Amino acid sequence: MSAVLGNPMVTTAALPLLLGIALALLARFALPAASPVLALFWAALLLFFYWDTLGPPVMPPVAASQKLIYLAFAGIVVGLLPGRMLGRGTGFLAAIAFAAAFLWLGWRRLAGGSLDLQMIAALAVGLSMLIGAAMLTAQQPSPSPPAEEPFLAPAAVLALSLSGAIVSVLGASLVTGQLLGSIAALIGGWCLVQYLATLRGGAATLWSEGVEFLLLYAAATVLIQVALLAPKANPAALVLSSLPPIAAVLVRGRLQSLLPGARPLRPLVAGILIAAPAMLAIVTAIVWAPHGAALGFS
Amino acid sequence: MRTRNLIAALAFAGASMLAAAAHADNFEIDGQHAWITFTIKHGIYGIAHGQFDGVKGAIVMDKADVTKSSVKAELDVGSVHTAFDQRDSDLKGPDFFNAAEFPTISFESTKVEKVDDKTGKVTGNLTISGVSKEVTLDVQLLNEAPAPWDATLTKAAFSATGKVSAADFPMAKAADGFGLGPEVDIVIDIEAVKK
Repeated sequence: MSAVLGNPMVTTAALPLLLGIALALLARFALPAASPVLALFWAALLLFFYWDTLGPPVMPPVAASQKLIYLAFAGIVVGLLPGRMLGRGTGFLAAIAFAAAFLWLGWRRLAGGSLDLQMIAALAVGLSMLIGAAMLTAQQPSPSPPAEEPFLAPAAVLALSLSGAIVSVLGASLVTGQLLGSIAALIGGWCLVQYLATLRGGAATLWSEGVEFLLLYAAATVLIQVALLAPKANPAALVLSSLPPIAAVLVRGRLQSLLPGARPLRPLVAGILIAAPAMLAIVTAIVWAPHGAALGFS
Repeated sequence: MRTRNLIAALAFAGASMLAAAAHADNFEIDGQHAWITFTIKHGIYGIAHGQFDGVKGAIVMDKADVTKSSVKAELDVGSVHTAFDQRDSDLKGPDFFNAAEFPTISFESTKVEKVDDKTGKVTGNLTISGVSKEVTLDVQLLNEAPAPWDATLTKAAFSATGKVSAADFPMAKAADGFGLGPEVDIVIDIEAVKK
């Protein structure tokens, strides 16, 4: 059992995928979408993968990698606040939270004062994440959500995490790559079940504002760390990886008129449009990988 | 008479202190003659060798009372090399030395013990990636002498060995046995110039 759990492919891909599927089934058949218990399950799974990848929390955290779990925890605390407390202020809160995370993770780099290409890319990633998260989390659910709406935020976090994982691994930052891969697989499992439900004529379960915030914050802060501290990660690919939340905001409300009769297709098209910058990021990272696209350590 | 005795006593005490201070020699590490090397397990196979080139620091050597000696040194993480460029850049990355966030490794002694005339143990804080751990180095004074080509230049040479575990520091991929590590053997050979 321990050998299975010690295999990075299990903890980075297979296990989170299965747990994402289990969580989606729970949301479909046992718990209402806005249930705090469901948010707690997301939070617990997120912390499990942080712990598994980064080890137990260190107090006080010194290196940026040691701060990530505390940032995730802060995101969870905000995410577990009652919906009425988050409300329309979530966008503003997200902007503050992202700016604080960027400064906390990167203060040593910022204090170094060198404005090299990596630093410019990190600033662009931080800004893009801040804007995307503020816009995405500020949006209120539609009174009668179209088929693709429950997939917009999950697709954004999934695309960000998946491309971030590949860019990170190709940039010789394996730990953050594994962590982002776990988040991507977890959300991938969720999306799979929800999309099957849509294909069968049902309605997909919408993430609560809290779940949306905690997952987006977790994935985005890891990507910010990669941008700040992995010199071999492709700068253009990092910036492209940070764009899916903005793409999700742009896609919202536009497909219903473009594809009025294709209800089951709309989540898929929305997902592809949201993931377009992430796909470009992956291609960029592979084509311009510093040592080819070979995985593994030298 | 009493005043004269007091002055004499003070003069003796002052002279003794000066004599004691005179035993403590200050040295500066000669970066061009410093080999900070390490070996570390490579995956499930062999032993990888590496070296830091950029080192600077100061040594205070008190031969009369070795416990008053001290060492302070700083390594440039960017200077690490292992005979393979890709591995070198990976080592500087966030999973290992994390040079972008912590560009230096430092060592500052806290205790120096004499073993015999030429050997001792230097205990101090080794700081890697912002985390300090106590390590003890077995140190040998190889030689201290004026340079044959310049009598005004006095150098001392030291050799030291020690062990650390990468798991003690925030070096995730060295700690979990994925690629390199976790046990690291350190071999240091340095020359230092007397100031």
